[in-house]
Amino acid sequence: MRHRISPGFLAMLPVMALIVLGFALPILLVFLYSLMPPRTFSLAGDPTLANYRAAVTEGYLLPLGWSLGLAGLTTLVCLVLAWPTAKALVRFAGRFATLATILIALPIFISESVRLFGTALFMMPGGGIFAGSLNALFGLKIGSILYTRTATLLGMVYIHFPFMLFPMVLGLSLVPQDQIEAARDLGARPFQVFREIELPLALPGITVGTLLTFVLSLGANAEAAILGGQAVIVITKAIEQRFGYAQDWPSGAALTVLVILVTAAVIFPVLRRVDLDRLIRR
Amino acid sequence: MSGTRDRLITALLALWTVLVLVLLYVPILSVVLASLANTRYMRFPHKVWTLDAYRDALGQYTTAELHLTSLKIAVLVALIAVLLGVFGALAFARFEWRGRSLYQRLLLLPIFFPQAVLGLALLLAMTAAGITPSWRTAVFAHLVWVVPIVTLVISIRLYGFDVAQEEAAFDLGASRLQVFREVTLPALSPGIVSGGLFAFLLSWSNLPLSIFTTGSDTTLPLWLFSRTATNYSPLVPALAVIATGASVLVVLAAALALAGWRRLVARRSA
Repeated sequence: MRHRISPGFLAMLPVMALIVLGFALPILLVFLYSLMPPRTFSLAGDPTLANYRAAVTEGYLLPLGWSLGLAGLTTLVCLVLAWPTAKALVRFAGRFATLATILIALPIFISESVRLFGTALFMMPGGGIFAGSLNALFGLKIGSILYTRTATLLGMVYIHFPFMLFPMVLGLSLVPQDQIEAARDLGARPFQVFREIELPLALPGITVGTLLTFVLSLGANAEAAILGGQAVIVITKAIEQRFGYAQDWPSGAALTVLVILVTAAVIFPVLRRVDLDRLIRR
Repeated sequence: MSGTRDRLITALLALWTVLVLVLLYVPILSVVLASLANTRYMRFPHKVWTLDAYRDALGQYTTAELHLTSLKIAVLVALIAVLLGVFGALAFARFEWRGRSLYQRLLLLPIFFPQAVLGLALLLAMTAAGITPSWRTAVFAHLVWVVPIVTLVISIRLYGFDVAQEEAAFDLGASRLQVFREVTLPALSPGIVSGGLFAFLLSWSNLPLSIFTTGSDTTLPLWLFSRTATNYSPLVPALAVIATGASVLVVLAAALALAGWRRLVARRSA
């Protein structure tokens, strides 16, 4: 008698092979390189923590701090902006909501380069779309926030907003409307309804949206490059410089490991608890 | 009293949603507006509104080359992602097996991961392995991120699939392959099509993975990214519009082909 291998196990093999080869293995390699002596290109050296020490002493925690700060702010702003939008999309279930949902989702498929480029064109001083229009229409001359940290933050919010919104909509649509009405009939104030019913029931969706937004914006670098000018150096930019210009793989690898550790610390506790079958199955 | 307040809140929410939509499309509109100039520098509003930049862009060899590279990558990514995604989804949502819960979580890791950092890790791994980055390695990099997404998209479809249909086919004497081809696959086809389109569009528009994994080959988003900082001319926004329009065309063509195919199948079975 042949031992039967379950079909589910067989079916996941190709996908798992890809994830091991293209995700787990590169991360393992980055981890190993981060322990090699600075400016070496092989994995044969004696393991050392010199790169991590250098990351602290040579000021590379600053770009990491900027990325963490920007990602945190992006997440916060997206939370605040997405909540009323999600409420609207759930409340207006119907043709208006469907159209709005499609219109919000479409830009995800337009390249970040195009959308951020457009943001820059809009913000440009003098002959930019906004400043130029104001000048032509009202004779107003205004300054510009292009090439500042604020512009970088706005770009990050713009790009990551849908990643907060859609999981939130998914979570909010799980809240039964009659429960909210029952609470209101019993005299609950709007804030009480929000805190005691909507928030706890919609929490799985909000959590997924928050995680996705934070993690994706942690690695964001196009926003800073196109809208930030020289105003801010994000961690991905710093890593790229270590790998490329400085030709110091172990030092770049150590910085990469730090980002991965932050990501893992945020993702793992939550991913363990969220019930995927329930969230996805409709 | 609560009726008036409810109506006020509803009106405010509608207004807010419209505002969000306007803000989302302002940058995209800005690109279109900027492309209609013929001056080397942005001086909005333009003195002359013209389509010159489009004529220029369409006449250039670079335009064709960039589109070809992006197309090559996106088509391969879509095909391979769908193939892997179908099996991945069967394991995700159709079969009960030990380790499924762990697999579901592992599959999500590449999605919940900063893409540029994944690109950098892949660059280091490839260089260490002696592989020269090119459009081929970009296909691989895109797959690592796109396959989990396509798997999820097809899984959502699978959750709504009635297993009894397969069992009925088995009872009627169909082989495992026949059941898969005649029952499971057709039921999954909407998920497969949207998964394929997702894969194509996500690959076509990807910047953070492509930056680090294409080597000397250049995709459309990469070229646009490099030209936003230096060498500005109306050609840049014009090409951005053309590239975005091209992806819309592909989606429309796919939708039309699918509709035609459905009609054909319906006629054959009638």
